[in-house]
Amino acid sequence: MNSPSPMIRNGSFLLFGVLFGFLLSRAGATDPALISGLLLFQNLHLLWVIGTAVSVGAVLNLSAKFFHWRNLSNGQLMSFPHKPFVRALIPGALLFGTGWGLTGVCPGTAPAMLGEGQWFAGIILVGIVLGTWLVGFLHHKQVQRMLKITHHSSEIHPR
Amino acid sequence: MTNDIFTHMGNLPLLSAELWPAWVAGGAIGIFAFAQRWLTDQPLGCSAAFGNVCARAGSRLPLFQGHAHSPATDWKIWFLVGVFLGGLLASVSTGTWAEPAHFGAFYNALMPQTSLGRIAWWLLGGVLIGMGARMAGGCTSGHTINGVAMGSKASIVASILFFSAALGTAQIAQFLLKLSGGAA
Repeated sequence: MNSPSPMIRNGSFLLFGVLFGFLLSRAGATDPALISGLLLFQNLHLLWVIGTAVSVGAVLNLSAKFFHWRNLSNGQLMSFPHKPFVRALIPGALLFGTGWGLTGVCPGTAPAMLGEGQWFAGIILVGIVLGTWLVGFLHHKQVQRMLKITHHSSEIHPR
Repeated sequence: MTNDIFTHMGNLPLLSAELWPAWVAGGAIGIFAFAQRWLTDQPLGCSAAFGNVCARAGSRLPLFQGHAHSPATDWKIWFLVGVFLGGLLASVSTGTWAEPAHFGAFYNALMPQTSLGRIAWWLLGGVLIGMGARMAGGCTSGHTINGVAMGSKASIVASILFFSAALGTAQIAQFLLKLSGGAA
C-alpha cells in the first residue's frame, strides 16, 4: 500500500469530513426535531434518508463485488471490512440507542451541529469523550480483575 | 411544529436549500460512504475518533493504545474536524448559522427546563452515546450507513438495537409525558 504522507492523508479526510458534515446538515440529520419525528413516527423524512443511503450503498457494494472493482488508493480489489461481533455489542447498542433517543444527537451529527452554531452539541461532545474514556477505564478494570485471579498484581493504574 | 422547516424546501437552487428531499440527501450520503472506501480503502466511521481523542489527551488506558487509535489513525479526528466545518459551511450558506436549535415539542417537553438541568441532560446523554458506540464498535455512521450496506451481520444487529432502543426510549418518554399532562 503506497501510503500518502500523514499531512495529505489527514487533509484528505478533513475534506471528506466537510462533505459528510455538509450532507448530514442538508439531510436534516442535525435537527433534533426531525430525529424525534422519526422516533415518534410523526415525520419519516430521516427514515427515507437512511433507507435511501443504505439502499444506494448496498447496490454500489454489490456492483463492486460482482464486477471486481478496484479501489483507487492501492489498486487492490475493494475490501468490505465487516465489523466483528463482540460480546459488548448488544448492551452497547442499547445504551447508544437510549442516548440517541434522549438527545436526538449521534457521534457524527454532534460536530456538524456544533459547526452550525448549535452550541449544546459541544456539551454532548464532552459527554461522548467521557463515555468513551469510561469504556476504556471499565475495560481496564475488568482485565485487572481477571489477572488477579491468577496472581496479585500491583501494577500502576493508567488513566 | 416539526413541519415548519419544510417551508425552506422551496428555496432553490439545491445547494443553498436548507433541507434536501430525502432521496437526494440519502442518495448522496450512500454514494459518499461508498466513494470514501473506493478512494481511500477506509470505511466511513465517526465514533472511533473519540478513542483517538482520549489517547491524544494523554490516557494510558490499554483500550486506546492499540492500532485502531494509534497516531497513524488520527485522520479519524481530522474527519470529525471536517464534519464540524461541513456543518458550518452548510449553515453559513443558508444564513442559518447559530440560529436556535430546533428541539421540537417532544425534546422541549422532555428536557429539564433549567439551564443547569439541560447541561446535565446533554452531558449524561453524551456519556450514554460515547459508551454505547465504543462498546458496540461503531455508531449510526459505521454500523448503519456503512456496515448494513455491506451486509455485515454485526452491523445489522447493532443497527436494529440502535433503533429499537431509541424508538422504545422515545415512545415510553412520550407516553409518560402524556400521562403527566405535558403536550408533545
